[in-house]
Amino acid sequence: MGTKARRWRRAAFAGRFEAGHEGALEKNAQGRSQPIEALSPAHGSIMDPLPVALDQNSSGAAGDFAALLRRKGLLGPAAISPIPQAGTQKTWQPTEATTILAFKFSGGVLVAGDRRATAGNTVVYDRADKVLEIDRHSIMAIAGVPATAWEMARVLEHSFQYFRRTQLQEMSVDGKVRALSKLLRDNFGFVIQGVGVVVPIFATYDSHPKPEARLYFYDAMGAQFEATDYAATGSGSPAVRGILYYANNWGATPLHKLNEDEAVSIALRALDTAAESDTSTGGVDRSGKIYPLIKIVSREGITTLPESKIAAVFKQTVA
Amino acid sequence: MIEEPYRWVEAIANRREYIEAQLAPGSPIAALGYRDGILFLTLSQTRQKIFEIYDRIALGAIGHPGDIERLRMAAIELASTEGFTRSAADVSLRRLVHYSLSPVMKSAFEQVYGPPYLARMLFAEVGGRPEEDLFLRVEYDGEIATNGATYAQAPQDFAVLSGTRRSRELMEAFLKDQHAPDATFQTTLNSALDAWSIGHMSLQAGDTSELPERAALLRYRREKLSNSGIEAALIERDSSRAIRYHSLSDTELRSLIHD
Repeated sequence: MGTKARRWRRAAFAGRFEAGHEGALEKNAQGRSQPIEALSPAHGSIMDPLPVALDQNSSGAAGDFAALLRRKGLLGPAAISPIPQAGTQKTWQPTEATTILAFKFSGGVLVAGDRRATAGNTVVYDRADKVLEIDRHSIMAIAGVPATAWEMARVLEHSFQYFRRTQLQEMSVDGKVRALSKLLRDNFGFVIQGVGVVVPIFATYDSHPKPEARLYFYDAMGAQFEATDYAATGSGSPAVRGILYYANNWGATPLHKLNEDEAVSIALRALDTAAESDTSTGGVDRSGKIYPLIKIVSREGITTLPESKIAAVFKQTVA
Repeated sequence: MIEEPYRWVEAIANRREYIEAQLAPGSPIAALGYRDGILFLTLSQTRQKIFEIYDRIALGAIGHPGDIERLRMAAIELASTEGFTRSAADVSLRRLVHYSLSPVMKSAFEQVYGPPYLARMLFAEVGGRPEEDLFLRVEYDGEIATNGATYAQAPQDFAVLSGTRRSRELMEAFLKDQHAPDATFQTTLNSALDAWSIGHMSLQAGDTSELPERAALLRYRREKLSNSGIEAALIERDSSRAIRYHSLSDTELRSLIHD
């Protein structure tokens, strides 16, 4: 606030206040308080740095919730990747101990995940929920460190809503896919340091231009790939990928033509196979009656299959 | 300036007069709580007046679009960060308005060196039951009016906003008589339309302090419906819905209107 500001104030009030008041006027103008950060008093924004909303819009980051959280100190800054030095390089071991799979079938996209959570070689939880609903039509399924993954899901969920509320329109599918990519990229420093790796799958329903289910998988750095038929992630995924490839090419029906029961059956078989050799995958716990979590994304939204239904298909076609 | 209280009072009075004149033609907005949620309704020809703020909170506003936008953004930012760090249940309209928006609007209004917020806003927060619905009307000077939910008096399950005080009071008088919190959606929609028409008639006619005759009201309503669009939104009471706020389209509403 410099001479320019003073000149403006003088001009605006020249007609009503005499010259003798100028001193008091300036003193008062500079000594005012700003009650809260988010909403600077109206008069402040005329000459002070542009108000938050305007600044955001002009920088092309309108509706960016992660940026808002950072500004308010509620989200850590993007982790900086350590610069590798000669001789001290460690090989990075990915540790996404779980199995997540997703494929397109006649009723949309099916996303399934086992329920086991491990820490090293200890099973810490056998009812983990790794298939998370982000909005009415989007699912993020996670393999990797749960703390980071759940936080990412939370940021993502709020980001989409924040965008819709502030920008008065739904975020496009491309925008959503990119938002997750950016969160992964920001997290990569932690990945290199050996903590916080997350490798998600993102499934959603795109209502325009052409209504269709869309499926994406990512790598730990945030690169996104659109899957035409299926995707799998986690330590048990090699086995799953083999099964889905086989079923899609030489099975009785290709994956995209399966009905719901057939799709559930393939998903259960694949997870059970993964669990056979991968200790970090829970598969189906026959004695504990713990079944994988299966959700379906379709035009109507997200359906979580009831356990009774999964159990019935399991009993008929898998056990 | 500060040394001369009289000048300050005079400046404030002028400013109030100026803002009231600016807001006077503002089209009324009615917010009515009913069995399944809260309905916001207005008739307009131009820009959007009803907005989603957060999970259970919506806003209807008249005034300068730039000022409404800044206040709307601030409200969304405050609610979103609170909802993110804690939970959606911790976002409270009462706190948002009393502790964040009102003080800022008051100080902008009273610091006569800068422009005030040229806006009048009506916030509503849907509760689990109609008795828990909260309506807060915030004036350009930070003044807050409630539907009585805070105090001993019985709360009304509606609130309205209009360009002039008389228009608002007429709408309130009508709804007090006509609206019941356990009404169905269709009844509520029609009451809201009637209330809007009464408020708008008063803005056009000026000095009437009487509610119009039923026939005149319907005639006016029909005429207005033929040349303006219905802007309406709903915040649903059902907490199992992922998104509780829905805009309602003009066409889907018109089929529910009866004389």
